[in-house]
This record gives sequence, structure tokens and C-alpha cells, in this order.
Amino acid sequence: MHFEVNGKQVFATTGGKPFDNSRPVVIFLHGSGFDHTVWNLQSRFFAFRNYAVLALDLPGHTHSEGPPLESIESMADWLNDVVNALDNISLVAHSQGCLVALEFGSRYPERLRSMSLVTSGLATPVNDVLLGAAKEDPEAAIAMMTGWGFGPAGHLHQGPIPGNSMVTGGTKVMRGNTPDALAADLNACNSYRNGKQAAPRIRCPVQVIVAGKDRMTPRKATDELIAHLHKPEVAVIPESGHIVPQEAPNQCRALLRQFIFSNSPAT
Amino acid sequence: MSRFLNFDTLSLHAGQVVDPEFGARAAPIYQTTSYVFPDTDTASSIFNLERGGHAYSRITNPTVGVLEQRVAALEGGSAAVCTSSGMAATFCAITAILGQGDHIVASTQMYGGNISLMKNTLPRFGITTTFFDPTDVNACREAIQDNTKLIYGELIGNPGLDILDLEAIAAIGEEHNIPFMVDATFNTPYLCRCFDYGANVTVHSLTKWMGGHGVAIGGVIVDGGNFDWGTSGKYPTITEPYAPFSGINLWEEFGPSAFATRIRAEAMRDIGPSMSPMNAFLLLQGIETLSLRMDKHMANTMELLDYLSDHEQVSWVNHPSLPSHSSHELAKKYLPKGAGSIVSFGVKGGREAGKAFIENCELASHLANVGDAKTLVIHPATTTHSRIDADALAAAGITEDMVRLSVGLEDVADIKADFNNGFRAAKRFA
Amino acid sequence: MGFRTRQIHAGVTPDPITGSILTPIYQSTTYVQPSVDEYLSKGFTYSRSGNPTVKALEAKLTDLEGGVDCACFGTGMSAVLATMLAFLEAGKHAIVSDVAYGGTYRLSTKILSRFGIEYTFADTSNPDDVAASVRNNTALVLTETPANPTMKCSDIAAISEIAQKAGAVHAVDNTFLTPYFQRPFELGADISIHSTTKYMDGHNATVGGAVISNSQEHADAVRFIQNSTGTIMSPQVAWLTLQGCKTLSVRMDAQSASAMAIAEFLEAHPKVEQVAYPGLKSFAQHELSSRQASGYGAMLWFEVKGGLAAGKKLMDNIELWSLAENLGSVESLITHPVTMTHADVEPEERARVGIIDGLVRASVGLEDTEDLIQALADALDQV
Repeated sequence: MHFEVNGKQVFATTGGKPFDNSRPVVIFLHGSGFDHTVWNLQSRFFAFRNYAVLALDLPGHTHSEGPPLESIESMADWLNDVVNALDNISLVAHSQGCLVALEFGSRYPERLRSMSLVTSGLATPVNDVLLGAAKEDPEAAIAMMTGWGFGPAGHLHQGPIPGNSMVTGGTKVMRGNTPDALAADLNACNSYRNGKQAAPRIRCPVQVIVAGKDRMTPRKATDELIAHLHKPEVAVIPESGHIVPQEAPNQCRALLRQFIFSNSPAT
Repeated sequence: MSRFLNFDTLSLHAGQVVDPEFGARAAPIYQTTSYVFPDTDTASSIFNLERGGHAYSRITNPTVGVLEQRVAALEGGSAAVCTSSGMAATFCAITAILGQGDHIVASTQMYGGNISLMKNTLPRFGITTTFFDPTDVNACREAIQDNTKLIYGELIGNPGLDILDLEAIAAIGEEHNIPFMVDATFNTPYLCRCFDYGANVTVHSLTKWMGGHGVAIGGVIVDGGNFDWGTSGKYPTITEPYAPFSGINLWEEFGPSAFATRIRAEAMRDIGPSMSPMNAFLLLQGIETLSLRMDKHMANTMELLDYLSDHEQVSWVNHPSLPSHSSHELAKKYLPKGAGSIVSFGVKGGREAGKAFIENCELASHLANVGDAKTLVIHPATTTHSRIDADALAAAGITEDMVRLSVGLEDVADIKADFNNGFRAAKRFA
Repeated sequence: MGFRTRQIHAGVTPDPITGSILTPIYQSTTYVQPSVDEYLSKGFTYSRSGNPTVKALEAKLTDLEGGVDCACFGTGMSAVLATMLAFLEAGKHAIVSDVAYGGTYRLSTKILSRFGIEYTFADTSNPDDVAASVRNNTALVLTETPANPTMKCSDIAAISEIAQKAGAVHAVDNTFLTPYFQRPFELGADISIHSTTKYMDGHNATVGGAVISNSQEHADAVRFIQNSTGTIMSPQVAWLTLQGCKTLSVRMDAQSASAMAIAEFLEAHPKVEQVAYPGLKSFAQHELSSRQASGYGAMLWFEVKGGLAAGKKLMDNIELWSLAENLGSVESLITHPVTMTHADVEPEERARVGIIDGLVRASVGLEDTEDLIQALADALDQV
């Protein structure tokens, strides 16, 4: 569905069911360069299990109007404008989305019932080659993102659905964003320093999902994240690369299901 | 693996993760109709497109899935759907997005089955086609109507072998927000990846060069994932709620693979032209040697072009690799590794000479297929087009002396020796 | 669980990865190992030594026969060969039914005898003849019951006792009756051999064989030969045979009922000299057949009055029945053993064991009984 936030068109899929905010809400946040479709094998599941779902496109991504936002902090504020007064949110975030979630959770802790962080560190420094490419040669940057992002199954063109190739699908999504979206995303990640302060302020239960073959998040960064959160539930999916929602959709969904069903039950 | 795998590697590995149960190196042949669900929740999730998985082999099958993902990888597409034949692929691809009152703009130079589908079959369901000369890009633009929903063509035309200017045609599609669909059977992704030049969907008869051995009939539809169905606004089957799946909006949920998902959800379910797992296995075997075979097809083709061009009983030779061909520049641009292994030529002495040539070739098989590992020859005037009068033949670009050749993988010296016999027999008509 | 349940489910569990209700066809030569230390941890290395699809069929046949293990082979002959190689060596002696399938006779007399293995062809329908043939180097007794094509039956329990006393392995070729009707292990036999080409497949689609063992020691010996000689079954054949096995009992019931009706029809027909079918009261070993098997199967033979010439006339003119080798399929087949299946057996030997020149072998298929009888009636009219 499309709606207006601060005068700009924003898109979110509601997972195939009308959004009913009397139900517990699950909000899905995508990572750098991606869009809501990265979550398509989780969002629809929750929508059909009595949750009100929003899988968002950040400004400048696929169906949401640009320009892209420049910092994690501005994304957290934007998210607050999106969710307006809701206070029954389970936030599910991937990669860059996790930084937004940390920042949002530290500023508006009362809004959250639970938070699921998929493949994230406390900070996400981005290497200069990728930052440079994102500015000068987006096609090369997209190739680096998908090349590093997807694990072995991705490079063998496995699909989350039979017949689909997630790695080419991801590439096409990134090409569909506004041209400066990836550079803005990566800069925002690279500049974000507030994780250490934000993480301890989160009051809801937190789940951290780690990928065994993640080449984009150093395990050390994830360990730091875990150390700064209050007793998070940690799960590892050994065979997955960074793009867990697509590479290991079934395991990812099972973990989210168990965590969200218990922390924010829907009737 | 952090770097993208290259073509030859993909042709061996893409789509297959080694069987986790026993480690079988070859893709298992899942010769099964159905799949046992661990619980009802999983079952309903699969049926409702909440998760991937297999329910019934008409819709998806693990062996067929390997082939689909392999072709998607080779083409650079976001998803692929295999079908029981190439014609089924074309039919399903078109009917996934067009309906009554819609219009196609298509090249005149196409496989006869495609022409017949658009000329005879689709009009019965209210879908009409205007055909354009593929050598005239403006003719394509001028053929676009308000209700045009698709531009369709073959990169290497049949029978004239004229090359379609992919980028120019794709630009027309973009201008009008209409997808551009290419039948890529004659080129295969090894000779040209059409998505790199703006095509949005490719369809293949895998029966031909992709499978390569003439052992299985099959087709595939590849979704380029590069068409903006939403902005276009002309494709309700992709962008409007689809009732059978709780009103799913495929464009919103599946983005770059929305088109393929529609085919999976509708054509495979309601029409059911699915590929058998055994055929998928055989076609996978063929694709493992795609690049090796194509290189040899091209090398043999070039040698035979020299041979035919120099032969005193040959009045003309037609192939885009020849500088004399009107599409030669486009062939160099889109098909740098070779412009396919179909060649046509004229035998001096007309109809009778053409017939005598064919009848006296022993190695080259006289049949109507193309793209086999074996060399195939046919004389259209006395066979495929024998019921057409001279005027209609001319309009179709077929002359009475024309022989069409699908160059195989034999030792080229043996093909030449075989042709020498054919020419000797044709001499008395020259 | 009952036979009909086991013929469908034994050995096959839904594929754990996809849920595929049928075992996939693992048309793969080799298996990727997780690590050097975990070599063979998933059970397979190379498809000569083992293949998951073939393994599923082996498990099913083991279950149906009530044995310990089964090894599948490329043909029924390979199964017989493997049995002989597993339990015989130069200087050892085997007692083989004198009415064994012609191929078994050929394998023994023309091939394995060259490697110093001794054979006695005994009338296994008479246990005393078996006992009299025992030597101190006898290591294997191979019976076939009912035998091909004479339908002579061997007393499995009696011969098993003789073999056991002699310290020899008793292998029973159980192809004609299958475990649905006859279970040799319950009668004391050690090995059950099958040409799976016949009733297990049932559709004339494959050739294959199986050796089921009733002890781990025997099973290991057969498996060793299976891997060493490489006379294995292909995964495609195993898969098709797995499908065939699911209807084994219903086919056997229907085909046997037809065979009974046909035997009775032939027995009453004025142009028929004699009929051999274990289900007939007139059959010499009717009592033994009824005792050791729960059904009589779908094989029979008959002789037309007028001998060979009349038999040929019938076979050349009959419709619906196909003049073909093989047996046990849903298609009804008619065979002339003297010129076809048993042509390699010397005329004197044939005469001695009762393969008379006019013998017409019938493998009753799954067609409507009345159609099969009508076709025979029409052909007999022309004789």
C-alpha cells in the first residue's frame, strides 16, 4: 500500500492482508540497496497469522518516493513518522535496517514489543572501494553488494522459491532504486557511530540471527552487538550468507515465528 | 564464492546444491507427482505462496527447478519456468500478460509455430498481432497501437536470418512501457544474453541447441526482472490482486520475479504444460556442454560457409556472419561469438536441383528440426512449404532452390564429402 | 503390517529435503563427502558400491521376503551368478535343479565349470535324489520351485534340511511365486533369488535381479560379490521396479485366478493332451504346492494333441497372447521353450527332465480372463 509521510509517497506491502492496527504489528526493514521484497517469504507468513504487517521501502527504494535518507538517525525518525502512534510493534530488521532498529529502539523504546536483528554488527563500517563504487559506478557497487552479500547457495543461483535465482533477483531490485540510493545507504551505515549508546537503551526482548557464511558482517562486530544488548536470544544459521531472509527463508521464518509468537502473540 | 561465477561454471553448477541427504553429485531425478508435508501449516504456507517448496509436480519439481535456475543463471534472469515444449513457453508467456482486446507487435521472421500461434490461435481469444519487418525498426514503432501490450521477436530471424536490433526495439518498448519478449532459441545465452540489450523476457525451445542432443522436448520462460510492471499500469495480471492466492499482488510481493510467479501460479496450475523430471535431467546433461558445442557449431558453420561460398553449384549463401548479409553489422554487435548454425543456400538448377541435393546426402539427416548435434538439411519448397504457391513462397523469403542447413558437430570434412555427393546428383539440373 | 501395506511402504520414506513421496532416481555416479573424516558418513561413495534408489528397492525386497539383506543386480542371471560366486569356488560342488531355467544351466555347464566348480543336476522334486547327490564338498543347493518351464515343485523344507546337514547353502529361485505366495525363509532356506524382471516389475519395463539373504554372513558374502563384480542394477531400473512392487499382490491374485480358469479350460478342451498347473488337482505335486505356498502363480504349460506341429500352429495363430520370451508381466505371453528359452539345453537333457517338444508355456497376464480364454479357444480351433 502507498501512503504519505511528510509529504512523500511511501510504500509498504501489508503481506496480502489489509493493515489492521488493532492487531500486533510486525514491521520489516530492509538492508542497503534492497527493498521490501527481501522479506517476501516472511512478511506474507505473518500477515496470514493475524499480524498487521508493513514491509517498508525506504525513501528512494523501489516504490517509495526519494530522495534517499542520508543517515541512520534520519531513517529512525522517518520510521517513527511512519508508525505514527503504534505501540505494539515487533520490529524485524536486516543489515542496515538493524542500525535503524537500534536507533529507533533507543529513542522510542515504548513502541516495541520485540526486535529481531538479522545479520548485523553494532556498527557497519563500509570499505572504501565499495563506497567509491557506489558513488562513481553503481553497477559495480551492485555487483559487489550481491557478490559479497550472497553466500554459496546464492552464487549457485538457488532460489527461495523453485525456479528463482535470488542473486539475479537481488541485482534487479538494486537496479530499480533511485540511482543514488545505494550510495546514501552505504554512507549512512559507514557514518553511524551511536550503536554502543543505543543498544543498551532497548527495553524489549531482542533476537539476533547470525549467518555462518556472512562476509559482510564480521563476527566480531556481531559479538559486540550481542555484548551491548540486554540478554538477547542468539541463533546461528550456519550455511547462510548475509542475505538470510532470502538464502535461508525457512530457518529465518522459523526463528522469527518462535520469537514473535511468544513475545507478541496474535489471536 | 564471492565473485560471480562465469558462464561455463554456471552451465555445470547453477541451480544445484549438492543433494544434502546422500551427497549425490548429479541432480536426483525426482520422478514423483507429490510431496509429503511435515505439517498442515507448512502445507498451507506453500499453497499460499508464503514460502517456497514443492506440493505437486505440475507446479514445481526439484529436478525441473535445477534446470530452471540454471537457465535463469545463464540468461541473467531473475527466475525461469520450464514448460513441456518451446511452444508451450511462448503460449504461457504471452497469455500471462495479454487478454482479449490486446495486441502484439511481432517480427515477420519467426519460427512457423510462433507465427501460427499469433496469426491463427491467439485471435480466437481476442489477441491480435501486427507483424513487422525485423530489418525496419520504424516499422515496429509504427505498428504500436493503444492496445499494444507486447513486442515479440527472434534475434536470428527465420528463414531470412536477419538480426533483430535488440537495443532499438527495446527502446521502443521502453518508450511505450511495453515489455519486449525474445525467442532466444537460435542464439542461446552463450551467443547472446538478450537481457543485456534490454529484452525483458526470453523464451526458448530447449529441444534445440540448449539440450543439444535431440532427446527431449522442452521449453523455458525466463523473467528478465527488468520491466517495471507497476509504472506501466497496463498489466493487471501482474499488478492487481490475484484471487486464487488470497488476492496476492504479485508485483508488490515478488518484484523482479512477479512475471515468472504469475506463470507459475496461473499457467502451471490452470493449464499445466509442465516439464517432466526425466526431460529436465536430460536437458541438464545437454546444458553442461553448451559452450563446447556452440563453439564447435560455430567453427563448423564458418568452414561450411567458406565451402559453400566457393562451390560452383551454389548460387547464393545466406548467413549473418557473411559480410554480404544485410544484418552483418548487427550480427557483429549482438553475436560476436557467431551468428548461429543455421545457413541457407541456393542450389543451381532450382527446385529439382534442391531436391536432388537433399536426397543424395547420406550423413546429413533430412528432417525439419534444427539445433541437433547432427547436421540436418531440408528443402523447404518441397517439404515444409510444399503447399504454398510461388508468390507466397517469395513473400516468406523462400526460393525454390533454397536448402536450409542446421550445422551439426560432425567432422566438417565428412559433412563436406557428404555435400559433394549431393551436389554431384544436383549437377544435371544446373 | 500386512503384505499389501509393506509392498507399498517398505523401504521408502518421503524424501527428507523436499517431501517427495517417492524415492528420487539418484542417477549419479558419485557422492560428495562432507569431509575426509566423515567419509561414508552419508552412506554412499560410488554407485557401484551402493545407490540410494537401488537401496530403497533392496530394503523393500528384504522386507517382503522377511530376510536380513538384499543385493540387487543388473539381471536375474547376475543374481544367480552372484549366488554361485558367493558360495562356491574351485573344488566345491553344487547341486542344481535339473529343471532350472536354461540360463542357469548354461551358466553352470559352460562357464563356471571352467573354473573348477562341480555340478550335479538333480531331480529336486525328489528330495531323495538331492540327498543322494550330496558330496563332502557340496556347498550350494540351488532349487527353483515351481521350475521353469516344467512347473515341477521342490520341497523347500525337506531340501533345506538336507542342505543344512551337508553344511551347504540352500538357495531358492522364488521368481515364479514371489514372497506374496511363497516365503522360502519360513521353510528353512538361506537365500531367495529373483529375476525382478518378472513379477516384481510386472510391466515388461526392466531387466533386473535380486538376492535376498536370511543371515548377515550370507548377506556379506553376496554384497562382496555385488561390489567386486559390479553386476549392479541401475537406479532407473530400481525406481521402475519399486513402482511395480506396489501392485505385486493384486497382480498375483488376479493373474493366478486367471491362470486357474485357463488351466481348467485347457484341461477340459478336447484338443489338449495335458496341462500342468500346480492349482489343478491332476497336478502331480498339487499337495506339496498347496502346503508350501499360499497360491499357485500364473505360469502353466500344456501340450496340444498333435505334438510339436500342433503346438507351433497354435502359437503362430494365437491373438492377444504375445509370442515372446519373459514371463510374469501384465501382458500375457506364450513361449515355446524348446526353440526359445531352453534351446541351449541338450535334447537328451530336455527329454530327461520333461521339456517335451510340444510343451507350450503360458505366462498368464492381467487381461480379462474371458478374452484370454477366447483367444486360446480360437487358436485351438485352427489346430
